[in-house]
Amino acid sequence: MQQTLEDFYKAVRSAGVKISPSDSIETSQAVSLVGYRSRSILKDTLVVSLAKSVEDEHLINECFDQFFNTKTFRNATAADSDHDVTITNSDAAQQLENGAEGYAGESPLAKMLLARDTAGLNMEMRNAARAVGLTDIWFFTQKSLYTQQIMQNMGLRDIQSELATLGKSDSPSAIAAAGALRDARAYLYEEVRDFVEQQLSMFGRNAALTLREDHLKSAKLSNVEQRDFHIMHDLVRKMAQRLSTMYAKKRKRENRGQLDFRKTLRNNVAFDGTLFDLHWKRRYIDKPRLLVLCDVSGSVQAYARFLLLLLYSLSDVMQRIDCYVFTGNLICVDDIFEHYPVQQAIEKIMREHGMGGSNYGTTLLDLEDQCMDKIDNKTTLLILGDARNNNLPAHSDVMQMAYQRAKRVIWLNPEPENFWKTGDSVMHQYRPYCHTAKTCNTLQHLEALLDNLLRSATSAV
Amino acid sequence: MKNLYQEKFSSVAEIQKRFEEAKYICSDQIATCVYIAHNLQKPVMVEGPAGVGKTELAKTTAQILDVPLVRLQCYEGLDESKALYEWKYAKQLLYTQLLKDKLGELLEDASTLRASVDKIHAHEDIFFSESFLEPRPLYKALHEKHGCVLLIDEVDKSDHEFEAFLLEILSDFQVSIPELGTIKATTTPLVFLTSNNSREMSDALKRRCLHLYVPYPDAKLESRILSTRVPELSQTLRSEVVSFVQQLRDLDLKKVPSISETIDWAKTLLLLHTEHLEPAMVRQTLNVLLKFESDIIATKDHLRTFVDKAQKFSVS
Repeated sequence: MQQTLEDFYKAVRSAGVKISPSDSIETSQAVSLVGYRSRSILKDTLVVSLAKSVEDEHLINECFDQFFNTKTFRNATAADSDHDVTITNSDAAQQLENGAEGYAGESPLAKMLLARDTAGLNMEMRNAARAVGLTDIWFFTQKSLYTQQIMQNMGLRDIQSELATLGKSDSPSAIAAAGALRDARAYLYEEVRDFVEQQLSMFGRNAALTLREDHLKSAKLSNVEQRDFHIMHDLVRKMAQRLSTMYAKKRKRENRGQLDFRKTLRNNVAFDGTLFDLHWKRRYIDKPRLLVLCDVSGSVQAYARFLLLLLYSLSDVMQRIDCYVFTGNLICVDDIFEHYPVQQAIEKIMREHGMGGSNYGTTLLDLEDQCMDKIDNKTTLLILGDARNNNLPAHSDVMQMAYQRAKRVIWLNPEPENFWKTGDSVMHQYRPYCHTAKTCNTLQHLEALLDNLLRSATSAV
Repeated sequence: MKNLYQEKFSSVAEIQKRFEEAKYICSDQIATCVYIAHNLQKPVMVEGPAGVGKTELAKTTAQILDVPLVRLQCYEGLDESKALYEWKYAKQLLYTQLLKDKLGELLEDASTLRASVDKIHAHEDIFFSESFLEPRPLYKALHEKHGCVLLIDEVDKSDHEFEAFLLEILSDFQVSIPELGTIKATTTPLVFLTSNNSREMSDALKRRCLHLYVPYPDAKLESRILSTRVPELSQTLRSEVVSFVQQLRDLDLKKVPSISETIDWAKTLLLLHTEHLEPAMVRQTLNVLLKFESDIIATKDHLRTFVDKAQKFSVS
């Protein structure tokens, strides 16, 4: 039974619930305590021991129903009691029954099949499935392979050789026996395949998606296709959730407010009770203030989309985001984000302001006019662009000014670093005025960068 | 007073029966969870909306096991000194002042500085002994000789530092006090942590606990709860009340009425000698069920339909 439990843990893991080895040990203890007599108590035990959240509870309940539901090898028995079963099933059952009387072979599998020993068949099939490692099934392409392996393991070879021997004889009884054996083999195939399909839907549920997600995380953002956008959006949401749970809780002790008298007294015993080292009660979460400039010209648009999506999904850990997009001029898009949900807002921005060749010079002049007073020593300036300036003036002096005023200037460039000095790129002119200048063209890059940004904002106590 | 683990429950059904005797109607899942927790000595993390009986579960468990209940209410800023122990600073100060002369006498015959320090060293632990220690709930729970039920209420309201501090207690049932050393529980307490999900708890904490989610009860369970808690209520009125509240829960409200509010409402109706739900009466007493003005306004349009349905339900 322990093996069955382990298979169940595996199924629950593939459904996306995290189960550590110690969880499984403790759950097994709990199960041995309550026993297997009552299905509902067993289910409750597994749920309370394995689940960590309400979502986990639903997943485990679902897995339990699927895992401990033996639908296979039911047709033949059902034919007797249930009149609604299809004629083919009852016919097959009838034929099998007729065949069983005339069967004189050795194969235990054939005997079970012809005698309609569903319990025995079920047991055999499950043992065979365990022997061939069916719980490792991931893809639908493995269905035939596992079906064949299970049938072989159950003893299909004996049936095949008996069929071959019977085929050589001309006697009517041999022909009838061969017919019954063939039906039995077909029946076995159907049931085993059905079982393998059930197992695939349980164990392979998330495998394909996980692989696709892994691929998308490291794929170049400009290569992500429209059909994968929903998976990307999900990924971004997960990343944002991870980052915000990580940083929403970091608190700094504030340097004013109400005095924490107890702590102050305790820490000042060493100074003979003179209140020298003061401690305050109030704490606050330091959130970064961001000014984002996004190039939305054709070459960078795909990157801008995901940067904005990730940034705005993180709004609960950001104090304030001021967002501007540009191709040649700076356009404030804060009001679009205020009025529309994030995804719609991004579509709208790309539609209205996207495309066209970029001019970084005029954009920076706009920055000087419109937003220089917004940049102070608490602001992080985040610029996304390839710095391809179409051979126009670069105006790096504005960058210098921003660099001097801002807390940090970060430049994200979708191009690899060795392209930064080639052609019409002016990246090398802006680079001295950036605290960080990085290549950023995959979702992983974006995540690492925001992780870094939030850490630097919240770490200093 | 009994020992916490002196009496073992023989089955899940027995727990349900004992809880029912203590007027707490619990679902199979709750009973299974308490059964496992008591037998394997594991803490239980109880989640669910406010008012479904999370705290009551711990209280009832203490009652049926006949052990004391130690309760720690969590809030933002709760720290070790409030949860575990604190030195009685004032008492320490007072005693050093009072014993000043005594100290003088004690040190009189010491000729050198080293001899004096050695003499003081021989007595130094007096001021940091248990008589100068103010025990707080967690310390009390660990010290309870026959074991106890420890209720850590609304753990989601506490800070992350406190949550990390709880880990040591929940896995080994011991804590380290620098001046006294490690203190280990004489009898492992049965721990219930409750959470309203106002923030996500850490995986480390969740891993150490059994997870129990207590949802709003279905009509059948709620009717049983009402019959135990407000037995004077007639059967007709009870099914009307339950049906009405169940319908309310399907509405999109700010604060959905929970069991405790259903019980309060039933008691109110009883006090007003109501025999059947009537729209006018319901309108007047709706503030017992709903705690936001906007919810009351949102419900008023549906009142008549809900009452009609509730009456039909009770007839059927």
